[in-house]
Amino acid sequence: MRYASGWLGVAGTGIVWLILLGPVIALLTHLSWSSIVSSLTAPGAWQPLIVSVESGLVTLAVLVVFGTPLARALARGTLPFPRVWEIGVLASLLLPPLVIGLLLIFMVGPFTWIGQLLGHFNIYAVNTFLALVIAEIYESAPYYVLGAQAAFASVDPRLEQQAALLGDRPVRVFRRVTAPLAAPGLAMALAVAWARAMGAFGAVVIIAYHPYGLPLQIWTTLQETGLPSALPFALVLLAVALPLPIAAYIWSARARRRRRG
Amino acid sequence: MSCLLALRNWQWLGSWDMTLMQGSRRVPSGSRRLHYTLAAIACLALAAAGCSSSSSSPPSSKKAAPVGEAKVAYASSIEYLNEKVFAPAFTKATGYKYTDWVNSSGALESDIAAGEISPNVFESVGGDNITPLEPKFTKWYIQYAGNAIVVAYNPKSKYASQFEAIASGKDPLKDLFTLMQTPGFKLGRTDPAIDPQGRSFIYMLELAQLEYHLPADTVTKILGGPAGSSTSSQIYSESSLDTVLQADELDASSAYLNQAIELHLPYIALPSDINLGDFADATLYGQAHVTVTISGQKVMKTGSPLVLCITIIGKPTPAAEAFVKYVLSPAGRAIYAAGGLRLLPPTVYGTGVPASVKSELGS
Repeated sequence: MRYASGWLGVAGTGIVWLILLGPVIALLTHLSWSSIVSSLTAPGAWQPLIVSVESGLVTLAVLVVFGTPLARALARGTLPFPRVWEIGVLASLLLPPLVIGLLLIFMVGPFTWIGQLLGHFNIYAVNTFLALVIAEIYESAPYYVLGAQAAFASVDPRLEQQAALLGDRPVRVFRRVTAPLAAPGLAMALAVAWARAMGAFGAVVIIAYHPYGLPLQIWTTLQETGLPSALPFALVLLAVALPLPIAAYIWSARARRRRRG
Repeated sequence: MSCLLALRNWQWLGSWDMTLMQGSRRVPSGSRRLHYTLAAIACLALAAAGCSSSSSSPPSSKKAAPVGEAKVAYASSIEYLNEKVFAPAFTKATGYKYTDWVNSSGALESDIAAGEISPNVFESVGGDNITPLEPKFTKWYIQYAGNAIVVAYNPKSKYASQFEAIASGKDPLKDLFTLMQTPGFKLGRTDPAIDPQGRSFIYMLELAQLEYHLPADTVTKILGGPAGSSTSSQIYSESSLDTVLQADELDASSAYLNQAIELHLPYIALPSDINLGDFADATLYGQAHVTVTISGQKVMKTGSPLVLCITIIGKPTPAAEAFVKYVLSPAGRAIYAAGGLRLLPPTVYGTGVPASVKSELGS
């Protein structure tokens, strides 16, 4: 009975897993080798990949620098009215990306005060690489901040207090105690934010039509020559976006196993 | 607030320690696992049953609606009109259901040819997106309405008074093309490689350059670079262009006449010799060309009138015939006219038009 129920559990889980994987399976079954070759050998076909990777890396750097302190403060409850801060992060998560893009136009459009300020330095936040990064940040930041918040929350504050009592300054406590203990969770949060940034489309299509990243390349190719030519770029997107989350997951799992001894 | 508290304690991805630890402490017994599994399967079964029952439940209306569905693929320039006005009126008048695919006419043609979508009606801008589908999917099309390119403008732009003067005819239209060359002028348009509106706007500028004897570099100056380039900072997706203009972040943008009317955008109407709206000027429009890059290949596109054409894809179904008939009927034509399209005498190209559609044409 126990043996059978174990297999039933595996089968049930497998069904759910396959349902979740449905779109990926559909992608793989609808790709032909010839369409992959013709799409990916077209002149300029790889430029969107470079744009996506570059913008994704810049996005991650911004998230780490500015999102990490916010996540830690949220986790430790050191901010006044903590719920208000949390609602702010959740609001940007709840807004559909397309709406975020539309609203960003009001924020950074060429005739806004931000746009005009940037314009003095010949910097434009619409239809530029900067616009792409801004859109990706807004689409991925809530995922990173909430994930990092959970990672910091999992660190026992008493360990930080003990290190402080032993004379470590806050920066050293963070570097020697908090960060190493939260690192597996932070890595996962970063990996999810990376995947989100690489796949960002809704806000991007509104304020950053150029330069093309991979999601827009898929969309414009779909418009130009139809689905068969667009699908290979979806495969490229998967191939590029997936390794980091997988590596982060494996490293994170190992780190936790090591910690438990 | 309880939701927030739950999220605060959310051990999402970043802290799987707790989950794993709990898992090691509280391993479910075999029977409990079986219960969970059965419950999951039961949920799936119930969901499936819910879906099937909802789809097989008898219609509640007293009068049986006609069976069938008009599955219409149409150009995105008439999306608002079809989605919000025409489709509800069609369903109310005929009882047939309605579903749609919206995209550029060229993309729809590619998708139909590749079997990616299976509409039974296709409304295209220009017959040249229908003829490649002949004879496999259709052998005819009917041209029934025309559109036109206009220049929509921002009433809060610093150039608003000049736009208004040109729109009212107080200042000559020629001034518009000088104004659009002003350094710092924010012009928006769509991608000529994928959107007919983007190409039509360029054709219009080329025709204006010819018609008004403007300097040879007028088009390049207005577009800020080569005409066929898809990488200009002026280019927005079709879905965002109107929004950016309405957010006061552009001085002017390209638009179809019907879109400007639907969205209540102030616009400058253009004469028929440059607005691509008159079928009689087809030869004149043919003088405008733009070379775009599609999948790495250079493709030259030529100006042509912005006419709407309709056909039935595949074997005509009653619902598809009903839709085409309704488009050509006085009621349908009135909707299109109110939406800003210019009605053209229905003209058939090809053979094999179903008899019921022919009857609507009066032939």
